[in-house]
Amino acid sequence: MGKRSETTAVERQKRHKYLRDLMPLFGFLGIVLLFSILTGGRIIRPENLSLMFSQVYVLLIAAMGVFLIMTVGGLDFSQGSILGLASIIFCWVSSYSIVLGVIAAVLAGAAMGAFNGFFHVKFKIASFIVTICTMYFFRGLCKYITTNGPVPASTNVMMLNETWFKLLLTGIMLFLGFMVWHFTRLGCDLRAIGAGETAARFSGSRPDLLKFLVFMVSGAITGFASFINVIKVGSITGTAGSQLETQILIALVLGGMPISGGAKARFPNIIIGTLTYCVLEMSLPMVFPVPATQQLVKGIVFLIVVALTIDHESLRVIK
Amino acid sequence: MSDVILRSENLYKRFGITTAVEDVSLEFEKGEIHGLIGENGSGKSTFCSLLCGIYPISSGRFLLEGKELKARSQVEANHHGVSIIVQEVGTLPGLTVAENIFFGEEDKFMLGIIKNARAMNREAQRLLDSYGFKHIIASKMIDNYSFEDRKLIEIVKATYINPKIVVVDETTTALSQAGREELFSVMERVKNSGNTVIFISHDLDEVIDHTDRISILRDGRLIGTVKSSETSTGELKRLMVGRELTNRYYRTDYGQSVSDVVVLTVDNVSVPGEIKNISFCLHEGEILGIGGLSECGMHEVGKAIFGASYGRSGSVTLKDGYEVKSIHGAIRHSIAYASKDRDTESIVIADSIRDNICLPSLDDVSKHAILNNRKLDSFAQKYAELMSVKMTGIDQYVSNLSGGNKQKVVLSRWLGKNSDIFVLDSPTRGIDVKVKADIYALMSELKQKGKSIIMISEELQELLGMSDRILILKNGRINGEFIRNQSLGEKDLITKMV
Repeated sequence: MGKRSETTAVERQKRHKYLRDLMPLFGFLGIVLLFSILTGGRIIRPENLSLMFSQVYVLLIAAMGVFLIMTVGGLDFSQGSILGLASIIFCWVSSYSIVLGVIAAVLAGAAMGAFNGFFHVKFKIASFIVTICTMYFFRGLCKYITTNGPVPASTNVMMLNETWFKLLLTGIMLFLGFMVWHFTRLGCDLRAIGAGETAARFSGSRPDLLKFLVFMVSGAITGFASFINVIKVGSITGTAGSQLETQILIALVLGGMPISGGAKARFPNIIIGTLTYCVLEMSLPMVFPVPATQQLVKGIVFLIVVALTIDHESLRVIK
Repeated sequence: MSDVILRSENLYKRFGITTAVEDVSLEFEKGEIHGLIGENGSGKSTFCSLLCGIYPISSGRFLLEGKELKARSQVEANHHGVSIIVQEVGTLPGLTVAENIFFGEEDKFMLGIIKNARAMNREAQRLLDSYGFKHIIASKMIDNYSFEDRKLIEIVKATYINPKIVVVDETTTALSQAGREELFSVMERVKNSGNTVIFISHDLDEVIDHTDRISILRDGRLIGTVKSSETSTGELKRLMVGRELTNRYYRTDYGQSVSDVVVLTVDNVSVPGEIKNISFCLHEGEILGIGGLSECGMHEVGKAIFGASYGRSGSVTLKDGYEVKSIHGAIRHSIAYASKDRDTESIVIADSIRDNICLPSLDDVSKHAILNNRKLDSFAQKYAELMSVKMTGIDQYVSNLSGGNKQKVVLSRWLGKNSDIFVLDSPTRGIDVKVKADIYALMSELKQKGKSIIMISEELQELLGMSDRILILKNGRINGEFIRNQSLGEKDLITKMV
């Protein structure tokens, strides 16, 4: 009898764990349902959905890079500034060739990410400090370049502003990210580093090298996202991409990403989190139309959603 | 002297599905040292955690001097006169020695809202001196002191209040012989003042020598209580395990020749502040023991071979001429390493058994850099089962496992990696007799297969019992070498250690 009750208890525990993993998904569905009711179904109308999708792409792609950074236990506040600067570089080069422009933006992003990674790894400065500094630094460059007015992209770029095209690019990026995360050793290595860096080092992972690479890759991914950003907005001002970093962080946490990284990082965190974020971002103004109170309400709503969906169990493991 | 001071009545503790302590009713007398023994996971540490308010009790109760003891935290237990010295580090870094000793008791040294640090330091120094730990300065930061000194500071912290019950949980594994003697004399002192010590240890000889009575736990249940003067290690082992242990604990072969093939050459290796000019060879199929006092540098030798030391000079070369310079390189060239600091260096605590077993072998399991998750699962399953790790499944987190099971996970990952050279630092530290026997059997098996092992250990019996050759370190240098030999005894090794 003891044996049986034990196995059912194990089953129950497994089921419980399974439910916990699904919590962010329930959160997302709950929010969609709640705001569908509150807005009288307005948010799920096609025109609103396409508006929402137009905002999803950049966030979704850039969040992928930060996902990797957070898995190893880091944070990145410079993403918005990287997006802004990479967008300017894309605009410049795109007048010669759009393909070259994309390559240049990716390289510029990678260089900025490598800059972050270098200071983080070489000088052992906590990543959020480094990236707060570079957030100002890259933003400063952006503003300096755009002193005489916004930097426009070539008109050919605007022709690419088609939903299917952006959707395709985003899909390809996500697919690539998913494949690398699941079918190479990278995912295992990064999770182990986040869970315990010393032990990971003693298991043959190379934390310093991988952390540097992760920052660089994250920069490169955001560089690519700047391509889609420019397609959407056409010309770049000094504040392009600002707030992206906080949007990404909130999105990932909403998606169930543990803030200290480690073994519980899951690829779907990115997608569910970004979608949840975008639904909230779009529906809140409809429900609370007074601009003065919107930020206030946003803050409270985010806090409630995170508190309800976050995996408290995994947070207890944090040292 | 049957004056009962502490009694547990039908005590239960459940963690989810597992019952760690089951219906334990036990009496402790005034002025006795009471040993508590059992295998890993037998519930002895949990029992003491319940006593000290670290975990809440599921059902049952403790009676201290006839009154029910309900402590919700260690500090509360302390105020009731129960204190504990634990296995792992229990001091707080970044504070002074005095601040550590009086942690939670700062009120005594307050002048209004200002802390009187001088009075605190003076009082702490007086206490340290009275215990004979004069080399520890109360006003210095605790970080300046070694693991062993920090244990001594903990002993002072736990006993200066003159508690009615002192729990000593696995503390001796962290201490050298001299430190142990200090601890035993403190225990004697507590006993002579009419108070009670609950002493937990895996070292049965030590338990018999230093206790009045011994209680044995198995699978959370109390098996019995015996008088220390009327028992033997054999009887205790039998009671702990529940069956007669065969005497094939260590190797029994002598005089076997070791192959001439050198698989690893350590040449003139130094690590600043740790080891100096270490040179030796390791042969195929050889078990090389390395021993010494705990601060002699022997643990650094293992790290240096594994490429994990900072600022190492000299060279570590393998049979094929490869020179080890990094951990990554060492693993790729078939060196396995199990650290003494199991929880931070050997395994990723906050990760699953599966990931821990697979991590070093990811390149081997993948095909053209592509991983197959099902293959990883079966790989982990296979080696976890080979080492008979007690688990609910390979998804279980390592942090939930007992010390012996964690070590099994460590060993199974290296078996999976199929390494040729095993560097095992304190492989049986804090591990019960049954798992110990498993580990020794595994070492013999590896030796038969032609694998080479370096075993770094503070336990002389283990070195004598398992090694083909023993190196003794003193102050960071090799101070003696012994070949496996029936007449070799602990005394021979000790003369080279001190």
